[in-house]
Amino acid sequence: MRTFLHFILFMVVAAVVIVLAAILGNVGAWYFAWLVGTTMIVLISAASAALLDAQEEQALGGSGVFDSHGQT
Amino acid sequence: MINGTVVDLSRIQFAATALYHFLFVPLTLGLSFLLAAMETVYVTTGRSIYKDMAQFWGKLLMINFALGVATGLTMEFQFGTNWSFYSSFVGDIFGAPLAIEGLMAFFMESTFIGLMVFGWERLSKGQHLAVTWLVALGSNLSALWILVANGFMQDPVGAAFDPVTMRMQLTSFPKLIFSPDVQSKFVHTSIAGYVTAAIFVTGVSAFYMLRRRHMALAKRSFRMAALFGVLATMGVITLGDALGFVAASVQPTKLAAMEGLWKAEAAPMPFNLIAFPDQAKHENRFEVQLPDLLSLLVTHSLTGRVRGIDALEGQAERKIENGIPAVQALEALSRDPKDAAALAQFDAHRSDLGYGFLVQRYAPDLSKVTPAQVSEAARDSIPPVAAVFWSFRLMVAFGLLMLAFFGLAALYTLRNSVQEQTWLLKAALWMIPVPFLADEAGWLVAELGRQPWTVFGVLPTWMSASTHSVTYMAFSLIGFIALYSIFIVIEMYLMVRAIRVGPSEHGDPGVHPAQPRPVLVGRPVPAAAHGTRLED
Repeated sequence: MRTFLHFILFMVVAAVVIVLAAILGNVGAWYFAWLVGTTMIVLISAASAALLDAQEEQALGGSGVFDSHGQT
Repeated sequence: MINGTVVDLSRIQFAATALYHFLFVPLTLGLSFLLAAMETVYVTTGRSIYKDMAQFWGKLLMINFALGVATGLTMEFQFGTNWSFYSSFVGDIFGAPLAIEGLMAFFMESTFIGLMVFGWERLSKGQHLAVTWLVALGSNLSALWILVANGFMQDPVGAAFDPVTMRMQLTSFPKLIFSPDVQSKFVHTSIAGYVTAAIFVTGVSAFYMLRRRHMALAKRSFRMAALFGVLATMGVITLGDALGFVAASVQPTKLAAMEGLWKAEAAPMPFNLIAFPDQAKHENRFEVQLPDLLSLLVTHSLTGRVRGIDALEGQAERKIENGIPAVQALEALSRDPKDAAALAQFDAHRSDLGYGFLVQRYAPDLSKVTPAQVSEAARDSIPPVAAVFWSFRLMVAFGLLMLAFFGLAALYTLRNSVQEQTWLLKAALWMIPVPFLADEAGWLVAELGRQPWTVFGVLPTWMSASTHSVTYMAFSLIGFIALYSIFIVIEMYLMVRAIRVGPSEHGDPGVHPAQPRPVLVGRPVPAAAHGTRLED
């Protein structure tokens, strides 16, 4: 029952976000583009850092075990 | 009549303070989101190197933020002190976004930046990340509101002049904040800040890599900033195109000045790559043109045409002639607000009221205005062409240079070999001033291109200033320039000192040239990993 309520809650949130996005996309297309674009730029930038960690791990032969400081 | 020298000094003072202030703002706008990206990686991966990064770049953000606030405060007061007629004329519209900007900057942004700096040990990881995101959002929303106010000056929508109160009044808040000029200007400016921060971070990271210091932090910072920058630069260029498209319809004089376009030619029109505009003769010297490009850039069509300055001056003459009865009606209404004939005359000519004000500079008594004075005022309706033309080209050239730099930076960092490209690292250092110059050039295009208006087509600059003495303006200008130059020196001193000291790293001790090359247990350190995976 709790999972179902969570599902309903998230569906309502998703619906509200979609409606707001549709309104914002209609009257403020560039604002919408800024919101989506900024999020995308930040996430791609963050993903590129994670990719660097993976590349360095691979450069060390794939056996490097990293601690929380990014060190083997 | 306000002294012309006072108006010029008021303009120089505002321009000087704004240009100084705009050296700080873009870095805050972009660096706050880069911090959010770094901290997001820290929270999702748990690796403390990303916490070190967020704390180090956060320290530089704080220095920049503090001086940005200090330089910005005076500008808001200048509207009242030096532009009192402007403030009373459009204060009903201008005041609201300016107040919201103040609330955003000093309540939301400043509160959360305090939590961000002092909350590392007091907040949970998730809470601190939320705070960092709110700092980024707050700083950019603060910029949004000042750009809403500026957007109204460029394209005054959502307001109307009330002949009874003798000032502009807000008619539609949604129209004001959703105007195409405001939207595209906000996104263009905000993302230009991302580019500025990305260049700054790549430059400082390159400094560390060239000296083999803090390699783990520098490589990750460079990687994140390069990807952040390449996407942001593409965004800035896209929005620059959108702004040009908007200017074609709402500010044709600015667009004509940007393009050095005196006479409209048949479509498709060529783009002046290089030219030396002569405003007195209405011609360009030493033109180098690219065929068809202007129509394509401005109208997104090969059949589109753009009006030239000659045609726009002719249009201004007609508007001035139509605006004169509106100003005369206002004079009658100021004597008797219930004068129905004057009100009817005003309503018939109200669309060109601003152009009536424009000619009053030459003919204070509009009943005696001559055709020569109308022509002189019409010539004044065109902004300083050479300054706008070259500022625009500098901005675009710097933008393309940064795109090329970020393209190479992204390529080498994705190959994980950027630390070996000494030439690129040195280039990154030299690139640090470029986005700041591009930002300043962009500001000049926007604001010089709006002349001779403070509110485009509504209120001329010559009417907007306060009635100070020349001496007062000259001394306050010298004071501002001296004070702000000291601020710049302080900023550079603090920044350079913080960069030389470097980050406080918990995981990476940094590798100095004097130190022996470290080895991992059982195997040599690969070049790519040098300095990043050291045995404790």
